[in-house]
Amino acid sequence: MSSTTTVQRPRTPVGEQLAGGRSGTIDDANAVLRVAIIGNPNTGKTTLFNALTGLRQRVGNFAGVTVERVEGHFRTPDGRRVAVLDLPGSYSLSAGSPDEKIALDVLLGHDVDRWSPQVVLVVVDAAHLDRNLFLTSQVMELGIPVVVALNQFDVAQEDGLVIDVPELIHELGVSVVPTVAKRGEGIETVKRALEIAAGLPAPARRFTLPGVAEGILAPLVGRLVGSGMLPSAARMEALRLLAATRAEPHVLGQTELLREVGEAVTALQGAGFAPHRLESEVRYAWISGVTERTVTSTSVTGSDRSHRIDTVILHRVWGPLIFLALMALVFQSVFTWAQPFIEAIEWGVARGGELVAGWMPAGDLRGLVVDGVFAGVGSVLVFLPQIAILFAFIGLLEQSGYMARAAFLMDRVMRKVGLHGKSFIPMLSGYACAVPGIMATRTIEDPKDRLATIMVVPLMSCSARLPVYTLLIGSFVPPVVYFAGVGLQGLTMLGMYLLGTLAALGAAAIFKRTLLKGPVRPMILELPGYRWPSLHSLAVSVAQRCRLFLRRAGTVILSLSIVLWAMATYPRTAVDATLPEEAQQEQQLANSLLGRVGHAIEPAVRPLGYDWKIGVSIAASFAAREVFVSTMGTIYGVGDRGDEAVALGQRLRAERNPTTGAPTYTTLVAVGLMVFYVFALMCISTVAVTVREAGGGRVGWQWAGLQFGYMLALAYGAAWIVYRGGLALGLGG
Amino acid sequence: MRIILNKPIVANTRQLPAFAEADPSAGERPCALAQCLPGSRATVVDIACSADEGCRLRALGLYEGSRVCVIDSRHCMVLDVRGTRLALGQALTSGITVQPDRLRG
Repeated sequence: MSSTTTVQRPRTPVGEQLAGGRSGTIDDANAVLRVAIIGNPNTGKTTLFNALTGLRQRVGNFAGVTVERVEGHFRTPDGRRVAVLDLPGSYSLSAGSPDEKIALDVLLGHDVDRWSPQVVLVVVDAAHLDRNLFLTSQVMELGIPVVVALNQFDVAQEDGLVIDVPELIHELGVSVVPTVAKRGEGIETVKRALEIAAGLPAPARRFTLPGVAEGILAPLVGRLVGSGMLPSAARMEALRLLAATRAEPHVLGQTELLREVGEAVTALQGAGFAPHRLESEVRYAWISGVTERTVTSTSVTGSDRSHRIDTVILHRVWGPLIFLALMALVFQSVFTWAQPFIEAIEWGVARGGELVAGWMPAGDLRGLVVDGVFAGVGSVLVFLPQIAILFAFIGLLEQSGYMARAAFLMDRVMRKVGLHGKSFIPMLSGYACAVPGIMATRTIEDPKDRLATIMVVPLMSCSARLPVYTLLIGSFVPPVVYFAGVGLQGLTMLGMYLLGTLAALGAAAIFKRTLLKGPVRPMILELPGYRWPSLHSLAVSVAQRCRLFLRRAGTVILSLSIVLWAMATYPRTAVDATLPEEAQQEQQLANSLLGRVGHAIEPAVRPLGYDWKIGVSIAASFAAREVFVSTMGTIYGVGDRGDEAVALGQRLRAERNPTTGAPTYTTLVAVGLMVFYVFALMCISTVAVTVREAGGGRVGWQWAGLQFGYMLALAYGAAWIVYRGGLALGLGG
Repeated sequence: MRIILNKPIVANTRQLPAFAEADPSAGERPCALAQCLPGSRATVVDIACSADEGCRLRALGLYEGSRVCVIDSRHCMVLDVRGTRLALGQALTSGITVQPDRLRG
């Protein structure tokens, strides 16, 4: 960049030149204005979207794909309602990734949901104007009015860049608004500019192709116009199709069009052009001219700062150590920081249940409300603190620029099992809870990599498995200490975590070589400059994730909890009133539908060394693993908290087979049971989230069913090998 | 050397060969980007990869004629491309031909 043009010092607050502009050309001021936001990743696009819409957002998926669709709304200073669609971050409209394809479909009016924008807001990173203008120039040719938000303007200033905004407006022929979205600067100006732009003509291509190339492309452009495309968009599409390899859906079926593309490619080659790079060459030639005239660089402090940080963060020795320390902090925080909130939620739900129980007369309805609804809601809400903390961390890591570095550092390990480096963070999150772990896979662009990660995240031992491990290790593994506080019990616990991790990596390798087979994409990763995160945007994102979790997973788990309650309660049978209350409960449970299920599945679990009571506990814990402990507590007439856990352990050790008199629970059975829980997917929330994240609907249920099935088969097989193998080795005692 | 074009821009791509921005004093032969050592600078001559990856690289600012600086080289390569830092896998850097300012050794 050089100083060939007038230099204008940026003003603060930014973007004053458009403030005070008035819209007088909008026919219907009350009609909703549809605006699509697009931009390169790491431009602060989502921060700007959050600043515009706040919490007025609705999250879903684009029809038929797993790409997230976030729509929000706001009112302009004149009171006009604006609906905003946050398109996925894209480097171009080349449709190379699902994200870019969605963006192109929406902008070309081919969106399945029939949502076509009236104005496009292009968010541009002011510190990397030349690269961002590539996408901008493509969007400007679509025949839709455009507003450019020159975001992170403060960073550009800190980096020593001086951008001549009026000259840039002149060059682009569209409104350009400098913004600092994380501080809310320029937001009102953007709103006004969008309203004004709706009444302005669409911009046009700002460069011309060589006459020969224009002539060669003319028939292709004519064909595209004939298929209903605007002339301007048709010229952009013709240029774009020269580099495209796949026949895209809106092109499929138009054999004539494909033939035209082929002919144009051949003719261009004959004329001495390289068709696949024609678009990049002409656009970057134009961009070079624009930046020459509008941007002056006075220093390189910004890139120097990021470079200095990277020398430590990406250091061959320090880099992985810092990464491990950070991940340990995230892991530990999700584990420990959430605990007081989880306890508070449990306390609140329990008190609420007691309060309702006090108001309602005893009976089935009270049982439904207290044991079904309150217990069900409580089992959902307890995950909320972990989700909030985890997503706050993920947001911090993403916004600061560290996440891309983490993916870079882990890429080599993950690539060995066929995954991308970005799969590591969701898998690590799975140690806390599979639900946020699966939701965190949204950072993975490749749909097959993302699905493979979703399928294996639940194999990472989550916090819900801890009560099961704690009960069984505490009861059946001798407290032998080897050295410096490291004992057999701790090593057994570590072994369970390692077993899950290795299984996850192995399963990922199998998925990537079979059902989700695909070329391992070489790494193309932008390492954005380090930035201070926006707390407002972070809070909005975390609130959005929490709301999404509560609405979707909550409804599913609540209804299934009610079903389980009904199965454990009905049919009502006469119980021996002379027995203690716990024994009466056990009798009722044995005769309930759930108890009958336990008896029915006893032959299936017998080869693993389990009796019907364990069968009942396993059946009950299909909703949530930790229910295993409380169900065992109910069956054996003791609670599962505090010293009552010790009492439960004593009861388990004392349990005898009524026929043989031999102990029902041995160390071998306990280890087999733990191995079963390492692999088994016993969590309704995880199933619900997998359904949603794997595409929703029938496809989502198919993947969730496969996930549940393969994990159950793995659990059964591994538990069988442990038990039978142990018996064969004479470890049955 | 930078190409400055007047409005309206008429970009004749035949006048924008890959070597247009190469350092004329370099005197080095083109080689794969993967062979360049950290600290070296080069001009991209050719990008041989799948069309998807080629599109993505060009959209990221790495196109035939662009200047790159190698920051780091291990299992992946970290590059500085017009102020943007990119990490590229070895499969890609092996397929990108560059005209280095200075070769290894």
